[in-house]
Amino acid sequence: MTIKRTLFLLLAVLPMFGWADDAVLSELLTRIRQTGQAQFQYEETRVLELADAPWHGQGVMLSGTDGSLVKLQLQPARVIMAIAEQRMLYWDPQQNQRHSAALDSAGPAGEQIKVFRSILQGRTEELQLNYAIAADKQGPQWTLRLTPKPELSGDDLPSIEIAGDDQDQQRRILIKQPDGESTEYRMHKATAAQQQGYSLPSLLREASGE
Amino acid sequence: MSFVWRKRWFVLLFPLLLAITFWHIKVETDLNAFFTATDDEDSRLLAGLLKSGELSRRYLLVVEKSDHPPVTDATNGGETPMSVAAFSARLLSQLAKLDDVEQVWPADQPPRDWVDAVASYAPYHARLFSLNPEQDAPALFDPSQLPTKAAGLKQALLSPQGSFVKTIAKQDPLLLSLNGFKALQGQFQQQAKRSQGGALIMQSRPAALDSAAQTRLQAAIQANFAALNAAAGESFKLSMAGVPVFSVAAQSEISQDVTLVSVVSSLAVALVFLFLFHSFSALHWVMMVQGASFVIGTLATALVFPQVHSLTLALGASLIGISSDYPIHVMVHCAKHRNTPLSAANLLWPSLLMGGLTTVIGYGALGFTGFPGFEQIAVFALASVVGSLGLTRWVLPALLVNSSLHAAHLPGIGAWVDFCGLHRKILLGLFAASVVMAVLCLPQIRWMSDMQQLAVNMDSLKQQDAAVRAHFSSIEPGRFVLIQADDWETALQRSEAAERRLQSLKQAGVISEYHGLFPWLVSKQLQTENSQVYQRGLTPEFQQAWQTGLAEAGLSVEKLGTLAPASPDALQAESVMDSPVRHILSGQIVSGQSGVMLSLWLGEHDPAKLTAGLAGLEGTRYFSQKDQLDQLAGKYRDRSLMMLGIGIIVMAWFIWLQQRDLRKVCLTLLPSLAGVLFIFATWALMGEEVSFLHVIGLLLSVSLCLDYGIFFIDNRGQDADVTYHAIASSTLTTIASFGAMGLGKTPTLPILALSVSLGVSLGFLLCPLLIQKPKN
Repeated sequence: MTIKRTLFLLLAVLPMFGWADDAVLSELLTRIRQTGQAQFQYEETRVLELADAPWHGQGVMLSGTDGSLVKLQLQPARVIMAIAEQRMLYWDPQQNQRHSAALDSAGPAGEQIKVFRSILQGRTEELQLNYAIAADKQGPQWTLRLTPKPELSGDDLPSIEIAGDDQDQQRRILIKQPDGESTEYRMHKATAAQQQGYSLPSLLREASGE
Repeated sequence: MSFVWRKRWFVLLFPLLLAITFWHIKVETDLNAFFTATDDEDSRLLAGLLKSGELSRRYLLVVEKSDHPPVTDATNGGETPMSVAAFSARLLSQLAKLDDVEQVWPADQPPRDWVDAVASYAPYHARLFSLNPEQDAPALFDPSQLPTKAAGLKQALLSPQGSFVKTIAKQDPLLLSLNGFKALQGQFQQQAKRSQGGALIMQSRPAALDSAAQTRLQAAIQANFAALNAAAGESFKLSMAGVPVFSVAAQSEISQDVTLVSVVSSLAVALVFLFLFHSFSALHWVMMVQGASFVIGTLATALVFPQVHSLTLALGASLIGISSDYPIHVMVHCAKHRNTPLSAANLLWPSLLMGGLTTVIGYGALGFTGFPGFEQIAVFALASVVGSLGLTRWVLPALLVNSSLHAAHLPGIGAWVDFCGLHRKILLGLFAASVVMAVLCLPQIRWMSDMQQLAVNMDSLKQQDAAVRAHFSSIEPGRFVLIQADDWETALQRSEAAERRLQSLKQAGVISEYHGLFPWLVSKQLQTENSQVYQRGLTPEFQQAWQTGLAEAGLSVEKLGTLAPASPDALQAESVMDSPVRHILSGQIVSGQSGVMLSLWLGEHDPAKLTAGLAGLEGTRYFSQKDQLDQLAGKYRDRSLMMLGIGIIVMAWFIWLQQRDLRKVCLTLLPSLAGVLFIFATWALMGEEVSFLHVIGLLLSVSLCLDYGIFFIDNRGQDADVTYHAIASSTLTTIASFGAMGLGKTPTLPILALSVSLGVSLGFLLCPLLIQKPKN
């Protein structure tokens, strides 16, 4: 009888778990939506298939109101990667390598930075096109897990995990590629003093070589 | 067969014939197919280039800021204006959705399949890393450079091209296979600087010469652009270039010409006819006969050739005027002598037959000038003249049985014949003096050397084309280095030798850039040379230095440290051409009937220095499409002159067969030949540039004028005035039909109109002067 009653209660309240999940998801999706200008300090850890050890880098990320995004890597060497007006820009002054390509024609690199922008700027409608999104909240800590939709399994989409806390001061983004490579970003909102050091338009100009 | 049944059969069969013709005909509008002779290798090459497959299906699109941008605040609420790059990216994604678009990509970056194609060369890295392996080996296999190379590889793996580089590095850790593609990368980087993101390349699915599909596609491109531009506040403008743009414009011009010439020619002939005979009933039946002749000609051409050119139909329409000569002669004699149409047709039949024969010979000679289009016109003329003669002889009398004919008296005709008779000696003296003067003028004739003058005038389109092309690579269309050989291996060895020379010429400043075939296609000889140099460079010390460099860069020695020996299997040119690479090389591989032809594209260059720089290379030469066309113009002219001579001789021979009197043959020929001489002399005096088309026009006029001589000498009605009236009437209809061609914008048509109209007019006027008025 006890088993039956427990089972009945579980089945009865099961839909409520779903509602609770939907509510959390909705709250978290609203939380990650970034509409205004923002700047983050970041640390990046990349695990490459052809490298012996993980690679570490750090720098600053700037997000603009018009959808532009700049990832300024400062360590180990200055490199700018950016999205501006539907184009992807890349500038490595040390190697003297500069690339500029229409975002939709830039292949896997373009797709990856588009996903990253969607995550950072909380473009949930773009993410929901390709991903099934699950939310989890444990106290002040929350996690969003993005899994490629089954029908898109042939498109080599990465799986993504975004985690943060109620304060919204820090965030962790883990992008796992199907081939085993991964990139992890640990990001902190820049202080007002830190924000004064960089200008998004001037970094875009530098990246595009103007 | 009774007249009633002849009429019934005609009325029944004509629509049937028309229906069969409509069902069977396929009309072609490509002007090049009409004019470009393909009887030698260079002509075939040129014809192939002019309508080569994939490259000819490409559009060059340029988006720029509008010259008159609207006020920003009013259109987008004060937002930051959209850049050209952002707008063209949106346009690109819209165009990619169109059904008729095979592929569209920004000009400053290679399409995805090109990148994939480059990656497919990684297994052959040791066989194709350099065009000059011995020369490049010291730098490529210098152990001291390996730590830098390893660090560069690490950075490349971290860059946006990481996934592409990883695919290659797994098979080719030193990234040697990318070495040969550096020039290609440089071209795209140059393009990026030049186009500012606004240049797109679009490949259509339909063939360039499929004007209907290309018109539809161009409208779709403009509609998509207009929609996006409206949303962007009309801030941009779009320009297009490419073979399909010209083909649609040419098709439009030719269609207008065909319609105009056909309508005006038919109307003019009808009006002349009404003026001459005052009979709508006769006009109706004669037009039916001419329509049937036109349909017979069209059907015969459609049966002999796979496609009928629209210019054949336009020029064929002028034959309506010529074919109506035969009924006119019958009807003038019928009206003036109050004969029945049947007796007039029987009376004139020998002259009609000989007149038709000389016309057919003239058009037949035209067919032997070698132009594909004129071969069609010869078949068309043969069938329609035969049709017209047959209908005039056997059907027209049945059709005209109830028509009443009133032949108009043409003022001045009789007076001119009488004047020539009265003052024959003086006029002949003047004629002889004119002949001498005309002969003296002949050496001053200026021959047209630029075939472009015969093309449809598209100056504004050419300016737009040049403006659009300025946003793209500086490769010059129509001038390239041509490599020819019997087999792929020899052709590739020759191409590589030429590329080495072009490298030196580029360094010397003779040429700004070039697009070769290396390393897309590499000869087996060069592959062997590369692999030998690679194996020699792959010493244990080199391998050790590479592994040390990898370890210092933090890369996996296990996965990247083993430098494999060169692949034992060579990269086969044939298998490369079976892969998607053939799309990339489209336009550089020219298929000839024998062997292999390759083209190396050239940027801005000095032709003389370039030709000198390539001297001594077997199977290699500088090819200029324009020079080739100009040479063809000369060849065409000589051939046309030869056919003019042969045509006249054959016509004279047939007249002699009928007359068996050399004097009569000479007299028959004299008016038309004198007309040709005077026209040539006039052009020489006026400085008119004379092309093969002028000569062809005169050939036609000779074949038509001979009919006048034949009718005038035969004088079968035993009434010189009536005969000359009939000749005058047919001259009028010929001028009316050929004169209509003068309204065409395609330069071919006015040239033929002028040559034929002048020729027949002079021939007609000279007839009573040079041939003594026959006794009635």
